[in-house]
Amino acid sequence: MKNLLLLVMMLPFLGYTQDYSNEDYIYLKRHEHIKIGITKQNFEITKQVEEQAEYLTSKKLYFANEAMHFDSFTTIEDIEAYTYIPERDSQIEVDYIETKRQFDNGIFYSDQESKIFTFPAVTKGAITNLNYKEIIKDPHFLGLYRFGTFVPTKSSQLSIEFPKNVSIGYIDFNTNNIGLDFKQDTKKDITTYTWTANNIKGYQGEDDGESMLYHVPHIIVYIKSYEYQGKKVNVLNDVNDLYKWYASLVDQIETDELEKVYKIADDITKTIPTKKQKAEVIFNWVQDNINYVAFEDGLGGFIPRSAASVCEKRYGDCKDMANLLYEMLNHVGIEAYRTWIGTRDRPYTYSQVPTPMVDNHMITTAIIDGETIFLDGTDSYVPFGMPSAFTQTKEALLGIDDNTFKLITVPVQPSNKSVTDVRTFISIEDDIFKVSEKRLLTGYEKVDFITDYLYKKDTKTEEEFLNTTLALGNNKTSYNNIKKENFDNKNTALELSYDLSIDSYVKKVGSKLFINLDIDRVLSKSKIDIEEKKYDKKIDHTYTKNFITTLTIPDGYSASFIPETLSFDNPNYGYTITYSQKDNTIIQNKSIYVNTLRIEKQDFESWNEFIKSLTKAYKKSIILEQNL
Amino acid sequence: MIKKTLFVLLLVSTNCFAQYYKTYDWSAKPKMHSISSEEEKEHSIGILKKYIVEYTSDELTSDLKQYETTHTITRVNDEKGIGQHNRVYIPMYGVKSLIDVKARTINSKGKVTLLNKDNIKEVNNVEEYGDFKIFAIEGVEKNSEIEVLYTVEKEADLFGSETLQGEYKIKSVQFLYITGDLNSEIKAYRTKSEFETVLTDGKASRLLDIKDMPAMIEEEYATPNANKVSVVYQCFPKGQKITQDMFWTNVVNNIGSKIIPEEVNSKAKADLDLIINGKKDLSNYEKIVLVDNFIKTNFTVVKNNNDELSDLNYILTNRSASDFGILKVYANYFKGLNIPYELVVTSNRFTYKFDPDFFIPNMLRDFLIYLPEEEKYVSPDRIEYRVGEAPFNILGSYGLFIKEDYGYYFSKIVQSDPDYSHIKRIVDISFNNDFESATLKQHTEHTGHWAVTSRAILNLSTDQGIKEYKDYLTGSGIEDKVIDSYEIENEEMNQMEYNIPFIVNSTISSESIIEDAGDSYLFQIGQVIGTQSELYQETERINPIEMTYPNQYDYTITVDIPDGYTVEGLNSLNINKSYESKSTGEKICKFESSYKLEDNKIIITIQEFYKSNEYALNRYEEFRTVINAASDFNKAAILFKAK
Repeated sequence: MKNLLLLVMMLPFLGYTQDYSNEDYIYLKRHEHIKIGITKQNFEITKQVEEQAEYLTSKKLYFANEAMHFDSFTTIEDIEAYTYIPERDSQIEVDYIETKRQFDNGIFYSDQESKIFTFPAVTKGAITNLNYKEIIKDPHFLGLYRFGTFVPTKSSQLSIEFPKNVSIGYIDFNTNNIGLDFKQDTKKDITTYTWTANNIKGYQGEDDGESMLYHVPHIIVYIKSYEYQGKKVNVLNDVNDLYKWYASLVDQIETDELEKVYKIADDITKTIPTKKQKAEVIFNWVQDNINYVAFEDGLGGFIPRSAASVCEKRYGDCKDMANLLYEMLNHVGIEAYRTWIGTRDRPYTYSQVPTPMVDNHMITTAIIDGETIFLDGTDSYVPFGMPSAFTQTKEALLGIDDNTFKLITVPVQPSNKSVTDVRTFISIEDDIFKVSEKRLLTGYEKVDFITDYLYKKDTKTEEEFLNTTLALGNNKTSYNNIKKENFDNKNTALELSYDLSIDSYVKKVGSKLFINLDIDRVLSKSKIDIEEKKYDKKIDHTYTKNFITTLTIPDGYSASFIPETLSFDNPNYGYTITYSQKDNTIIQNKSIYVNTLRIEKQDFESWNEFIKSLTKAYKKSIILEQNL
Repeated sequence: MIKKTLFVLLLVSTNCFAQYYKTYDWSAKPKMHSISSEEEKEHSIGILKKYIVEYTSDELTSDLKQYETTHTITRVNDEKGIGQHNRVYIPMYGVKSLIDVKARTINSKGKVTLLNKDNIKEVNNVEEYGDFKIFAIEGVEKNSEIEVLYTVEKEADLFGSETLQGEYKIKSVQFLYITGDLNSEIKAYRTKSEFETVLTDGKASRLLDIKDMPAMIEEEYATPNANKVSVVYQCFPKGQKITQDMFWTNVVNNIGSKIIPEEVNSKAKADLDLIINGKKDLSNYEKIVLVDNFIKTNFTVVKNNNDELSDLNYILTNRSASDFGILKVYANYFKGLNIPYELVVTSNRFTYKFDPDFFIPNMLRDFLIYLPEEEKYVSPDRIEYRVGEAPFNILGSYGLFIKEDYGYYFSKIVQSDPDYSHIKRIVDISFNNDFESATLKQHTEHTGHWAVTSRAILNLSTDQGIKEYKDYLTGSGIEDKVIDSYEIENEEMNQMEYNIPFIVNSTISSESIIEDAGDSYLFQIGQVIGTQSELYQETERINPIEMTYPNQYDYTITVDIPDGYTVEGLNSLNINKSYESKSTGEKICKFESSYKLEDNKIIITIQEFYKSNEYALNRYEEFRTVINAASDFNKAAILFKAK
């Protein structure tokens, strides 16, 4: 019985892992060994990295280009790299390594650099070997190890050795199905933890999925504490230590010339009566006046720049804006806190991961009359009162004072806060669809439209932009009288209106006109390919879309067919479409809602039923017949 | 007499030392420039973009010295405009020293914020671009003006170029070229404005002054980046005059002597045995294919600063080469196999228009090898290409062709096989369960660039990229498409046979392609050809028409008419749009679709082709009609009615 169980457990393993016939390139080995030494209170930390890869075909020789990244917290040393050609039993050394920088769209200046080189003589059968040492200068940054990567790995291993006066913590993610083996070994005063996993499949991201950290098996190790002169000194034992460290960094913020900041806060709020309104004015001021420019330079990447200099320069990154908001709000008497947070890309909580891996963003939290309001100055168009969409569901760490913090989860914003309301009037002139439409967008629907308009439109004309984003009717839709109002970060709805003339849309066959009122077919392309899609589908925010469409029946025609009511109802998503006739008009009421931020794999079938039902409903036409 | 000598000396010294940049400055008291209400609606507006290039001779050595001053004033109206202009990158490539840099902002209330020079950061060895000085503009708000002024001394070069046009309108663009008594040449592209001769501090200069330069915009079937207004210039050492022919001869000798071997390298000879591998009676074409496939599966083309990547022995041992060094490998193998070849130096037509009449090294960017006997090209540093036509981004560019005997000529790089890129598709459509769904059996053959692209994506892309491509290959735009079967043939990159088609056989089904219309069914037959692009034109077309490559589609679509039904609305399937040559009357591009009824089947044939990849700008509307005809067909629907 025992044997059988073992066999069952091993089967799935043997089943796919040995088959690399579809692969061009695999890792034979990816091993990292972290060695922690401590002298008095000074850590000496090195990470030895060993990688061996094999080219199973000669298609993807571009994998020969290798890069090792480092920044002011790390250095790379003792690089040894060569290609081995088994066929000829020959070894060709890498003899040229260059240090390079890269420009990044998001970060203007970063201290990150790369050692780059190209493995020589790679071709089918070649095996490349890379060994190097990374010196980790700050004990807070042991980092993260991935058991899987973009291609399969035959042997994956992380080990960490440390003396007995040091205590190590670790937490692993997504490792349930990889047969992860853990060994602990103590020799003399040195303990070694070793995690090994074999035959790990490749992991590649999906455009509509969560970040790969939700799927890739990985582990985070960290230094909890050490003993010095008989006393335990915490490094990152738990979130208390992480916060203490953050607080010590925040203490280094320069506070010179704060009166300049206070003056701005006073000037813009002096006529404003309530605290909440004051907070809104200050938030909008920062959104409008401070441009996002990020610098990542050593610990400067963790310490906000002084509020006065941010005001003077009129630019900053998330932490600079967070600190500026904190200063301005507190000055006018509003309880506000600097707040650390991980965006949705980081699937961790502070209690799980008490290291800087847990977060990557900073915002400000205001507490006004018992209400908690999250303020993200980097999101220029999010209305006051809503958190930035990419922080929903995430734990926020509010810094109360040097020793106190508070954890609050950013709530999912309900779908009635992000609404698109569409009023459409349609007539038919000479077989051409004439449409007059007005859209009102609130919440994230508004934010998304503005962001797309500013950053995806490029030099396209408004007509072409609307044709490709709204995709109303068909791609022969022409737009006139395009107007937009409230193109801002206020709570008022964005108003977008235009007149459309849609050619080749009305289908005329004999004496019949086939009229389809669904010129907006949102979600119609959202069917999930269940066989191909590996991971949950991510949805950026919940929303509701309401449409009221009025068709004026052209003279000489009457309706011979009007589609029946169709709907799909699920707590997380659904729609209803109804038609009614009144005098010479036909009115379609349509409402679509999505109330979830994720479609999990087990719900793909249900989601596809929803999309299929909706797509089918979109296809229903009204038939108008010429009166005899 | 003495006085006179002194005077002359003084004059000389003024000529030598008082470079214009030393006196050129921004205005001491800046004030906002007025802009029109139309201009206020733009994200940003250039007020001034001025370049000053000055050459002088070193007094003692007569060596050339070169200074470049850049002065811009830009009005930013909104967040996007700010984001486009508040980060300044000064390239230090070829720069001896950054002489001065300053920047300031005036906001709408007139407050001036000066750049704190301590905030200028150095970023070294960035990708392939060299070193930079970077800074963020301070104090900028909506409706501000950003002013940047800097001067660099360059490692003096005989050539230079500058792109003057931007993605935003600029009210005043100036290029001032100061060369004094040195011989020089200058040329501007794509502007009607001309250089005027002026004196700058007494020195002979030429000034190009363009008012209200429009924004260059993205357009379909165009190369907007390469079509920007720009200038190129040459300046020669004192007393010298170099003709374009002399420059080209120099380049030819330089490249020829480095690449074209007199004797085949011994390591390369050894490789030839591996390449030919004992095969006999190979045609020259087959030998070329074997060489190309061998190199592309054994060598890596690397972009870094390692000089040895152009050393043949190093390359043959390490199997790594620069884009230049890899040419040596081809040249040696071809020489060893007695295959005649020519080297081609050219540029990507989407980034730079190669000009045989004005030499600057900057345009010598891409290398090809031409095989005159085969009339085919090899693309040495393009992993996705194999022996055939030139890559699409080079097609239509001029190139410098260098023969093995160092003879050279210029030629436009054209396609020798007019039918190179072709898609042939046969689709058989039947309906299931009383029009609940339609099944499409599809057989598609892709040749030429279509096949190259398909093979590259299927072999080199990510899982996500391959997934999206499979969707395209099986028919895009059918929302609820289910792929019942999917098989591909000849997808391998290495193929021996010339232009062998890449084949896709698939069966798909869809319910949404049929609409239930009371007692009849509306079948969206147009969707079978996939989503077709639509060309919009609200504003006047700016760029000449350049397609990706000449191509042709031939579709045969057969629809079974179910028993008991008749079909209506077939007339929408007849479309015929074309663009004819004004001189020969020949159709250069067309979209033509028609149908016939045969034994309860509708048989639709579609032919669409584009025989040239260049079309006249003034005939844009005719071209657009052909392109949009396919999009018209995509909207076609037919009605099935019970008899």
